[in-house]
Amino acid sequence: MSRTTDTPLKVERKHPSSFSQYKVLLTKDLLREVRTKEMLVSMGVYALLVIVVFGVALGFAAPGTDFLEVSGGLLWVMVVFTSLLGLNRSFSVEKECGCLEGLLLAPMDRGVIFLAKATSNLIFLLIVEVIAVPLFWLFFSSVALPAETAPLIALPLLVGSVGIAGVGTLLSTITTNVKGKDVMLALLFIPVVFPLLYACVAATVAVLVGGDVMAESFATPLALAALYDVVMILISWFLYDFVVS
Amino acid sequence: MPDAIRVEGVCKTFGTRKAVDDISFVLPEGAFLTIFGPNGAGKTTLLSMLSTLSRPSKGTIYICGIDAKEESESVRASIGVVSHSSMLYPDLTAEENLVLYGRLYGVPDVKNRAVNLLDAVGLKHRRLDQVRTFSRGMIQRVSIARALMNDPRVVLFDEPYSGLDPHATQVFDNLISDVRKDRTFVMVSHDLKKGMQLADHVLLMARGRAVCFGRKDKLEPDELNHLYEQTIGGGVA
Repeated sequence: MSRTTDTPLKVERKHPSSFSQYKVLLTKDLLREVRTKEMLVSMGVYALLVIVVFGVALGFAAPGTDFLEVSGGLLWVMVVFTSLLGLNRSFSVEKECGCLEGLLLAPMDRGVIFLAKATSNLIFLLIVEVIAVPLFWLFFSSVALPAETAPLIALPLLVGSVGIAGVGTLLSTITTNVKGKDVMLALLFIPVVFPLLYACVAATVAVLVGGDVMAESFATPLALAALYDVVMILISWFLYDFVVS
Repeated sequence: MPDAIRVEGVCKTFGTRKAVDDISFVLPEGAFLTIFGPNGAGKTTLLSMLSTLSRPSKGTIYICGIDAKEESESVRASIGVVSHSSMLYPDLTAEENLVLYGRLYGVPDVKNRAVNLLDAVGLKHRRLDQVRTFSRGMIQRVSIARALMNDPRVVLFDEPYSGLDPHATQVFDNLISDVRKDRTFVMVSHDLKKGMQLADHVLLMARGRAVCFGRKDKLEPDELNHLYEQTIGGGVA
């Protein structure tokens, strides 16, 4: 054992900015994921399995535009259930060794913890979507080909994912200490994100079908979804201190 | 000497059960308080309120003159906590864990400080190993280093000796004597001998209440032993 003098154990602290604390927490989540690949692998495999199940379920569907009208919904079913899996895991490690307690003891606005965790959840969800959405279309390309506007699907996916990560992070914090947290998160999460889901499905179907549907039902649902994101993330941010206290 | 900790009529209620019932004491700067008591006496709940992790149902706590309820962020900057859980990320190395917490507190030259503290707890040679590969005692030592990262004025320990082997216990004792100057310590312990050895103030709790509080040198050892035996014997809340 080495004994040190008192001097090296003394420091002059300078209070860090909330943004630098946010970066520290986000880097920690990303570093952990790079090392363990815990969330990305489980979410990616789950998304793939959902696509396979859809493939079996729709194996006898007649080719045509009818599929395009339901495909937006199917895509969002995959996104919502995959994100639920990730959200459930996102706080389990923080809870496991009391790390959340350690973060709550740090001198920072607790909203910073929320924003960092929501951002890392969003990044993981987007990475899974980047892999899973092309696979989804590859799998179903024999049933129907989407309209030329299909690349715009990135917009509802991005807006929807932001809302899911924001609201989901708050709800997964609430359910961390609850018995049967997996079920409880789903029970709280789906009703709360229902308006977002509805708007995103409408916008997704619009870009896939194209033509008149695109003109009529893309911009408004997307704007509503973006408004939902802003309102719900602000509410979650303000409520976070109360929730973790 | 200014007060490091002032606790005024603090109560904590869970439903109808009073976990902490009307505790008051004043601890001067540089003091070492050991809190004794049987399981369920309210020691950890009191420590949790001192650390700002939970709020008193009634009463006020001042840490370094700051109201812990009104200005909890400022209080958190001045305290270090070692609790039952390590608060360490198993997938990060010992150094990465300390650097993470150091950055959250705004510690300058954070890597050097992390290495210095790991050296002080005898784990410098394992600083680049992930915490998941450490034994319980080693995790506890890193946890102690984590609590000292921000150079806290008040340090709160909840059973810091649990899981420590004799060597690690010696490391811990040496570390405490190294950093004791100008710092105030509150330690929850079941180990009467160890707790008394470090303490200059003693608080004995049972059923959420303070059975006795005072300077160690003003308490009769026999009387304290007797009270301790009594509370351990029938003090579970």
